[in-house]
Amino acid sequence: MTGPGMISDTPIAGAPAPEAAEAAETAGPVLSVEGLSTEFRTAAGIARAVDGLSFELRRGEILAIVGESGSGKSVTSLSIMGLIPDPPGRIAGGRVMFGGQDLTRLGEREMQRLRGDGISMIFQEPMTSLNPVLSIGRQMTEGIMHHLGLGPAEARARAIEMMRRVSIPAPESRLGAYPHQFSGGMLQRIMIAIAMSCHPRVLIADEPTTALDVTIQAQILDLMREMRDSTGTSIILITHDMGVVAETADRVVVMYCGRKIEEAGVRDLFARPRHPYTRGLLGALPVLGQAGAVGSGALSEIPGVVPALTALPAGCRFSDRCALATERCRAEPPPLEEPAPGHRVACWHADAAEAGA
Amino acid sequence: MARYLLQRVFAAILTVFVTTIAVSMLIHLVPGDPVQIMYAQSQGTTPEQLEEVRARLGLDRPLVEQYVTYIGRVLQGDLGHTIRGEQPVLELLLLRLPNTLVLASAALLIAATIGMTLGFVAAYKRGTWIDTVLMTTAILGVSMPHFWLGLILLFYFAVQLQWFPVAGNGIENLVLPAVTLGLTNAAIIARLTRSSMIDIFDQDFIRTAHAKGLPKAVVLSRHALRAGLVPIVTMIGLQFTYMMGGAIVVENVFGWNGVGRMAIQAIFQRDYPLIQGFILMFAVVVVTVSLLMDLIYAWLDPRIRR
Ligand SMILES: Nc1ncnc2c1ncn2[C@@H]1O[C@H](COP(=O)(O)OP(=O)(O)OP(=O)(O)O)[C@@H](O)[C@H]1O
Ligand code: SF4
Ligand SMILES: [Mg+2]
Repeated sequence: MTGPGMISDTPIAGAPAPEAAEAAETAGPVLSVEGLSTEFRTAAGIARAVDGLSFELRRGEILAIVGESGSGKSVTSLSIMGLIPDPPGRIAGGRVMFGGQDLTRLGEREMQRLRGDGISMIFQEPMTSLNPVLSIGRQMTEGIMHHLGLGPAEARARAIEMMRRVSIPAPESRLGAYPHQFSGGMLQRIMIAIAMSCHPRVLIADEPTTALDVTIQAQILDLMREMRDSTGTSIILITHDMGVVAETADRVVVMYCGRKIEEAGVRDLFARPRHPYTRGLLGALPVLGQAGAVGSGALSEIPGVVPALTALPAGCRFSDRCALATERCRAEPPPLEEPAPGHRVACWHADAAEAGA
Repeated sequence: MARYLLQRVFAAILTVFVTTIAVSMLIHLVPGDPVQIMYAQSQGTTPEQLEEVRARLGLDRPLVEQYVTYIGRVLQGDLGHTIRGEQPVLELLLLRLPNTLVLASAALLIAATIGMTLGFVAAYKRGTWIDTVLMTTAILGVSMPHFWLGLILLFYFAVQLQWFPVAGNGIENLVLPAVTLGLTNAAIIARLTRSSMIDIFDQDFIRTAHAKGLPKAVVLSRHALRAGLVPIVTMIGLQFTYMMGGAIVVENVFGWNGVGRMAIQAIFQRDYPLIQGFILMFAVVVVTVSLLMDLIYAWLDPRIRR
């Protein structure tokens, strides 16, 4: 399902220079997730939080993964990182290809070498993501020393350089400071500095701005774009904020209940969202008993709740919340199709949904 | 930081001050006439003699005056004299205190080492049979009274195996009482360490440390243990207070010549000045230790250190 045909996506504004895009075309994806399934053992049974998920991350692109809470975005990123807590979780199937290796088959030692080096990650809560009892300097240099094999003095220099790049004022004097002495925005900058300090090829950012003020959010997103432009690092940006997607991403994967239900270039997706769920996220879904919301542009909440992973509908997983649902939807899960180049969607009535706009 | 310390010192002084009030009133809390009770066992004391003692102890004065006299003496380092033998209380206490401190410290060392290790392992292996076995043992340890464990150890290691002497005050005599006191408290520390560490293992910054690719051992020691140490050390500080209390019992079981043993004798003999002195000294020790803990706490936690 991730054939070479999808490269012929419409060009995207804000994407890296044309040469970079060309290089990406010839070099293939940096990371490709193929049929990934991750399960958790729960009291109610096996919960398949990610179910047969596939997507590719191209060189220097910012790929957004969006979806409501519980759709499996974090589980996807932790699966890539090899950080799924086992028990209760495990990767039940699929591959994560990176640098010619399947990460799901690597041992813990090999994964450790990769984490923070080839692939690094930042998280939602900068305030709690740094160790409160260790100095910023210590937390910055430990990874640098570990991965790049630098001595303390060189690691310090590298840390200062990275802090400067993420615009921490007076970095030399801040190395001895502790997390509680920084604001949330500054801490997220530091997290980015740590994540970027060993020249990763992939940065996974799991809701990096959700916990921050709106103005700070924009600054952090700018910083991430800047980092991508200057280093060519590919970014997976996980978010449930369509505004963040519009502003930052090149391409978008929409997830629902562990599955990819739509994927497209960002402009294409915003101009022609094909899945009713995506339209709901965009606030333009013809929703049940809420006709006024159609085309109003308001950020409408999708009615109903995400079904429990242990009690999913038989057919389309969105069917009990979808205004367009038919018998067929409830009986048969819709396959992922590619109605336009680079635009994939899994919905029996994708055309109807689009026409309803 | 300075303000934090000042606060702690002030709180410590206040605690001791409140204790002096309680201690000086102690004698009146006992139902009946304290002087008569004190001398009940001795034959042939005349009412005049009792009056004389009452006057000497100042018990015929108003309460406030009694307290002022008492605190005045305490501030001069005079804790009075024992009823029997007329020995200076402070001197007696200071003679025995080191023995108790040695016992409590040795026990604390044992408790902290065993408790923290087991608690950490249980937390790391949470939900497995190892966790279950360790924590079941810990519950048994917590619910076992000092004297009971003490008697078992005494019977087995001193009487049966004869590895250690039954009583005495050499270093070889320290082992059994310290182990008795240490083991029961190790169980408490193990339980707390486990819950603290489970809490820490779930923290975001541990996930960050793993995401950096640090080896597990580094994540566990540098990141997890270091962060967990703050609540654990606070708890161990509190534990020292219980150790001092436990020492009273254990000293009596093993005939260890500390203040606890003396205190029990004083209670049986209704030797009020000695009991008062003991309680006051106990309070000072506890307060000093907790002040020390506050210092360590501040040193461990940069959010307080500033
Ligand atoms: N350790 C775990 N044990 C059991 N279930 C889990 C565990 N971690 C995640 N899950 C389940 O996996 C599903 C997907 O969770 P995930 O955290 O990936 O959602 P998300 O898309 O990141 O949502 P959010 O926007 O809230 O972060 C949820 O139903 C969650 O309950
Ligand atoms: S398949 Fe049917 S139920 Fe599912 S999203 Fe499409 S229209 Fe709605
Ligand atoms: Mg999440």
